[in-house]
Amino acid sequence: MHEISLVQGLLKQLALLAAEHGSKSVSKVRLEVGPHSGIVIDSFKFGFEVLAAEIDLTRHARLEIVIPPLRYKCCYCGHVRQTERLPETCSQCAKTLLVPDGGDGLILLQVEME
Amino acid sequence: MCDDCGCVSPGHHHVVDVNQSLLAANDALARKNREHIEELGAVAINLISSPGSGKTTLLEKTIERLAKEFRIGVIEGDIETERDADRIRAKGVPVVQLTTGGACHLDAALTHKGIHALEDQLGEKKLDLLFIENVGNLVCPATFYLGEHQRVVMISVPEGPDKPAKYPKAFISSQVFIISKTDLLPYFDFSPEAAIKDARQLNPRLMVMSLSATTGDGFDSWLAYLRSLCQ
Ligand SMILES: Nc1nc2c(ncn2[C@@H]2O[C@H](COP(=O)(O)OP(=O)(O)O)[C@@H](O)[C@H]2O)c(=O)[nH]1
Ligand SMILES: [Mg+2]
Ligand SMILES: [Zn+2]
Repeated sequence: MHEISLVQGLLKQLALLAAEHGSKSVSKVRLEVGPHSGIVIDSFKFGFEVLAAEIDLTRHARLEIVIPPLRYKCCYCGHVRQTERLPETCSQCAKTLLVPDGGDGLILLQVEME
Repeated sequence: MCDDCGCVSPGHHHVVDVNQSLLAANDALARKNREHIEELGAVAINLISSPGSGKTTLLEKTIERLAKEFRIGVIEGDIETERDADRIRAKGVPVVQLTTGGACHLDAALTHKGIHALEDQLGEKKLDLLFIENVGNLVCPATFYLGEHQRVVMISVPEGPDKPAKYPKAFISSQVFIISKTDLLPYFDFSPEAAIKDARQLNPRLMVMSLSATTGDGFDSWLAYLRSLCQ
């Protein structure tokens, strides 16, 4: 549900960027959504589709979502490992205390405008 | 016209690398909130759980137990109504009700309004503890930093022990995890060990407490934790 307020924030930011660059139309928006960001990507996409279509500036904008890989860090030896899901043990020291390493970002990477 | 490429012609294609968090504006305002809260002398706690887990009841009982020791203020977040604020007001502490009018979470901007409204009530008075009861929801509030010092996530026994695994963000971003309504453990198939194991897997630093607001069981460690924040 909070995806909608985040889309609204994004559209405001796009309006500022367009004004700054004297652009009338946004063609592409590239966004990084971390696997731990708490964002449901489908909800975000849906919100963007609906809300962006209501505004001239973003009517034809394409949303590209980049998902960075999951990374976990060992609390003992600091080893960082890229995996599909939370590993049971550290591959370096075999201890079990692992925490997510970043991956909670929701970052506007790049905007293409005409 | 455009500083990046110096172009003036309309229709020119711009590719702008922004690299900014969508939450940057919220987080900047949250840091201001934190300054405000510290000017009030308070430690702020953002309380996050599903509707009905017992947030307001926990606050009522906490105020009963600590009102003589500490100056407590409350900001209540709900989608609609003043009901929770009325319950807190009946306990005799300053309280502000924020209604989001549909939004499923508090954000830093709305909280900012709440802090100002609370300051208006307080006048020259200070606070030791500021509780912010977030909108009942285990998902959305976790994304929005409000300027709190501590974040407390709660699940009640009837909700089931799988909640940490299903809603990881709230558990990853909190300092304290409360299992509430432990008086109901005999009636539900709820394994506190399983819930705690999943929560700790997500966040090994999480402090865990189990309590019942109805019987007062487990309240001592909660109160000890709050006292430690006020030292
Ligand atoms: N059995 C039991 N019920 C509780 C406890 N704490 C709260 N409740 C009940 O749970 C319901 C919801 O509580 P409330 O504090 O309004 O939840 P909130 O929506 O999270 O603020 C109410 O009917 C409370 O009386 C508890 O420790 N044990
Ligand atoms: Mg409540
Ligand atoms: Zn290790």
